[in-house]
Amino acid sequence: MEPLTWTGALSPLLPVLWTAAAALLILSVLRLVCGFVLAPGEATTHADGTLSVTRGPLELIDTAALWTLCATLAVLGGLLVGGAALGHGAGIVGGMSRQLVPVWLALALMLGLSYAFRRRLGLYGKLFDSTIGVSGFALVMFWVFAALFVSFDLIATHDPLAQSAAMKNEPPGTPYTRMIGEVAEGSYPYFLLGGDNLGRDVFSRMIAGALVVVQIAPLATAFAFMVGITLGLPAAYHGGRLDTVLTFLANLILAFPVILLFYLLVTPEIVATGIPSYMAAVMFVFPIAFFTILLNSRFHTRPRLRTPLLIGVVAVLGWLYLSLISERFGAIDILPPSLDLFDIPGGILVVFVSVVFVNSPTVFRIVRGLALDTRTRDYVAAAQTRGEGAWYIMLWEILPNARGPLIVDFCLRVGYTTILLGTLGFFGLGLPPESPDWGSTINDGRRLLAIYPHPALAPALALLSLVLGLNLLADGLREESLRD
Amino acid sequence: MTDPTPEPPILEIENLSISFFTRLREIPAVMDFSCTVRPGEAMGLVGESGCGKSTVALGVMRDLGANGRITGGRVKFKGRDMAEMSDAELRALRGREIAMIYQEPMASLNPAMRVGRQLMEVPLIHEKISKNKAHARALEVLHDVKLPDPERIMKAYPHQLSGGQQQRIVIAMALMSKPSLLILDEPTTALDVTVEAAVVDLVKDLGRKYGTSMLFISHNLGLVLETCDRLCVMYSGEAVETGNIADVFDKMRHPYTQALFRSIPLPGADKNAKPLVAIPGNFPLPHERPPGCNFGPRCDYFEAGRCDAQEVPMFDVADANRHETRCLRFQEIDWSRQEIGEVATQKTEIGDTILRMEELKKYYDVNASSLFKGGETRVVKANESLTFEARESETLAIVGESGCGKSTFAKVLMGLETATDGHVTLDNREIGDTPIQKRDTATVADIQMVFQNPFDTLNPSMSVGRQIMRALEIFRIGKTEAARREKMLDLLDLVKLPREFADRMPRQLSGGQKQRVGIARAFAGGARIVVADEPVSALDVSVQAAVADLLMEIQRNEKTTLLFISHDLGIVRYLSDRVLVMYLGHVVEIGDTAQVFAPPYHPYTEALLSAVPIADTRVTKKHIVLEGDVPSAMDPPPGCPFQTRCRWKSQVPDSRCEVEVPPMVRFGPDSAHQIKCHLTREELEGMEPVITLATE
Repeated sequence: MEPLTWTGALSPLLPVLWTAAAALLILSVLRLVCGFVLAPGEATTHADGTLSVTRGPLELIDTAALWTLCATLAVLGGLLVGGAALGHGAGIVGGMSRQLVPVWLALALMLGLSYAFRRRLGLYGKLFDSTIGVSGFALVMFWVFAALFVSFDLIATHDPLAQSAAMKNEPPGTPYTRMIGEVAEGSYPYFLLGGDNLGRDVFSRMIAGALVVVQIAPLATAFAFMVGITLGLPAAYHGGRLDTVLTFLANLILAFPVILLFYLLVTPEIVATGIPSYMAAVMFVFPIAFFTILLNSRFHTRPRLRTPLLIGVVAVLGWLYLSLISERFGAIDILPPSLDLFDIPGGILVVFVSVVFVNSPTVFRIVRGLALDTRTRDYVAAAQTRGEGAWYIMLWEILPNARGPLIVDFCLRVGYTTILLGTLGFFGLGLPPESPDWGSTINDGRRLLAIYPHPALAPALALLSLVLGLNLLADGLREESLRD
Repeated sequence: MTDPTPEPPILEIENLSISFFTRLREIPAVMDFSCTVRPGEAMGLVGESGCGKSTVALGVMRDLGANGRITGGRVKFKGRDMAEMSDAELRALRGREIAMIYQEPMASLNPAMRVGRQLMEVPLIHEKISKNKAHARALEVLHDVKLPDPERIMKAYPHQLSGGQQQRIVIAMALMSKPSLLILDEPTTALDVTVEAAVVDLVKDLGRKYGTSMLFISHNLGLVLETCDRLCVMYSGEAVETGNIADVFDKMRHPYTQALFRSIPLPGADKNAKPLVAIPGNFPLPHERPPGCNFGPRCDYFEAGRCDAQEVPMFDVADANRHETRCLRFQEIDWSRQEIGEVATQKTEIGDTILRMEELKKYYDVNASSLFKGGETRVVKANESLTFEARESETLAIVGESGCGKSTFAKVLMGLETATDGHVTLDNREIGDTPIQKRDTATVADIQMVFQNPFDTLNPSMSVGRQIMRALEIFRIGKTEAARREKMLDLLDLVKLPREFADRMPRQLSGGQKQRVGIARAFAGGARIVVADEPVSALDVSVQAAVADLLMEIQRNEKTTLLFISHDLGIVRYLSDRVLVMYLGHVVEIGDTAQVFAPPYHPYTEALLSAVPIADTRVTKKHIVLEGDVPSAMDPPPGCPFQTRCRWKSQVPDSRCEVEVPPMVRFGPDSAHQIKCHLTREELEGMEPVITLATE
């Protein structure tokens, strides 16, 4: 079989793409230069309340640039749509596009519905007024859906762990062959993005890597937020010695070199002492404490509602907690196996603990700063004068009004955690050596980077696009929440 | 006052219209606005917030931001159309010919630059004079704005100066290049009353000295009366009435101006006999203005089919000097008819004493350094021997400027702080030592508070109904959720808000409506004592009267004791039964309202009465300007707290004022009127009244 080209049957579109892109580039530079020389058009207002701008050369360049941009995007869209229709007949791009069809459908459905109902969706709906925010959101959701569907075995072309000696370091588009034995019936005929140094499919590994990130990063960040919030609010609200001690502890953790901390935590000797397990046991208490206090402070005046609610929440969270920390033959083995819902692989647990541990002091500081500001508001004083408890004021009066900056920070922090996971994987810390996560894959590809760049490039671009998407999303949210 | 001078006007605004463009629509902020400022003339621009008065000022400066545009009309400065000037010409004009003074002094000064350099910058940039000359000029101007020790001030950073001093610096900066036009945008709103009086006095003097024309923007009619020659009243983006001060104040020809005067408490208004008349309805949003006359829907004289038929132009009022009004019916309305006092209500019986404070003291420790204990501990004496009592269904006003200890006293009463010494008794139960966590629900529900800032009093992320229901839950009122909801709707009825508001978020409400929700929340547990901390000072004039009357009405029905904290003596005189004047933590005077507002006065009360601007041309005031600022409570003066600024100090022999705190001198039939002063009884009784009302 012939190796695939990048665009296959759709290659006639390529010259159009290059022309449009080049024109766009030239026009952008021209616009920048002319902006210093030419004056912009005059805006005039009319009696009917409309505004019109006279058209000068600058406006002409703007319009032309806009058209070329549209043309470029249209050709790119054409490549993806055509690819989805033709499959690997349209080359590597087509093959990937066909594999990603579930993601495209999910994305289109979600964005379309959200856009249609955006006026009823609060801050999330307002996101659709910002181009930057919505592009970021689309990028993030692309990877979330990719991770979701790969866990249903929909997207990957091959098993991310299966090796084929014949495919070692083969370039993108190489037909799938095996050194020993025949290719199984019905398996995908190509390695779309080539093979890595062990002859594994780079495309499948890249998509599978998304699952690792999407599973760990938001959850770990959410845990870090709960720890930070549960400690930051009282530090700000009560102040005094409590604040001094907690802030000092936060500074202590922040001053410790992060990478060294990770190395320490994953060292087998340290793991054997059970320190990571104990840390997990402590840190995972915070969500339970958080929700218990949250509900109790709100509903303590209505015991009939409060008591069953709290029993339910504590039971469910407590069971999850015990299943999470209890490990057969591990450091903490308290739950009988019949009741243990799931076991987290030791490596993942360590990664999780380290990420929460490193992130929570920063969250603590942000929450503390926001709460210090909100604490002086009259509605807080009003709550105090009607005798509300401290936790009610912190969690129901202060926290909801600090949510804007916290949501933005959450997005940024998920991005930061993604990079952190990449770093951990790159150093081979925590995750198993075969793991398809992006950090490990980049590290694997790094050794032959000068000769075969594709095994490292694909996961690197994936990491980049996800973090970029999160940052753009945070920007868009910040912009829209300020506008209210 | 305004002899028609042949000189050309400094500023001519002709049919100016300004709009802001948003993604959704055009928002007209100012429409068809005309006014003329002649040399040496002070023009007042009065209106409620959102009426476009600041936009006019920005339009004159041609500084409207990215989405603001002048959509029509012309602004001529010294005969030249400003639209034809280039950016460079405009830059040369701003700061040199037209200077602007803003509301918040700290925000107008660069905090990273010494005051001297900021002042010298103005002539250095505009006139290219030498540094030495600029320095000399700065010293001279600082002297003119009556700042002590100009050399030291020149080297200070803005944060080292008090608010009053900062505003003087801003004024000095505006005067550095001797501008021909000075625009003052609410220049004293952020200042205390006595400081405000001094700054206003200064502005008037300087205007006269430098011959500067002024455009004085304010929401305070009294202040405009004191400073300006002419006045322009704005409503919802339009000028509705222009004319000389005397004409507009006494012979107004627009229903809005009339309604405005009826809704502010002038001397002679009384909560029972002659209550204020609030303007019905709400200020229209800029994009939802009614057709025809903007004031139409709220106007008593509205005539359907005529007032809403077409845009109303400005009409000349015949028998006055340059007096114009935007009212179609101004010749038909009988302007002499006084409507104040139509709905007289029954005076409430004052009941038994329910709250008593005896020798209440509250000190705060301020450690120089918290790390090394044992160093010197400084004490802030926030409250010093407060003694008074409050009776059922009585309004006790607590008057004082910032830093006088009003808020601290409120905190002790609410239980947010405990008293250092002394007693607070509620129904003969001691509560001064009990923090709020240890008080029982009934006590907490009995004493509630209404806050000052309507935009801060409600939790922005909880619906209005939820917030009131939370208070009900906490006070254990209503057994079920449904019962509480019913009670919450009743409370909304009580504060005259539509029941649909229960599901609205606070940001969908106007300032006055939010304040009503705050009142409803305070009365959720059937409060018997309500501490109202300046409940109306942040509201617009037309809304103030409505909220104040609401409080009074609830008080009449529920027999509530109202502790009304305020610095606005106008509203205090209008609605309080007794007044307590505080200065630096001390009660300096207490008595019935009539007693406090008439001699004998405490010297501070005297100055306070003189400082408060009154929007009534019949009033003549004795002119008393206090020197300096309120001393810091960290470092109070020895002896009498007021001795540093007192103009009567020299009358007391042996400088006793500087040594001992004066005793209370008692006056009146039942010794209810008390004054803390060293002056002899005869001297105090011999004081002249500050405010005299000319009889018509």
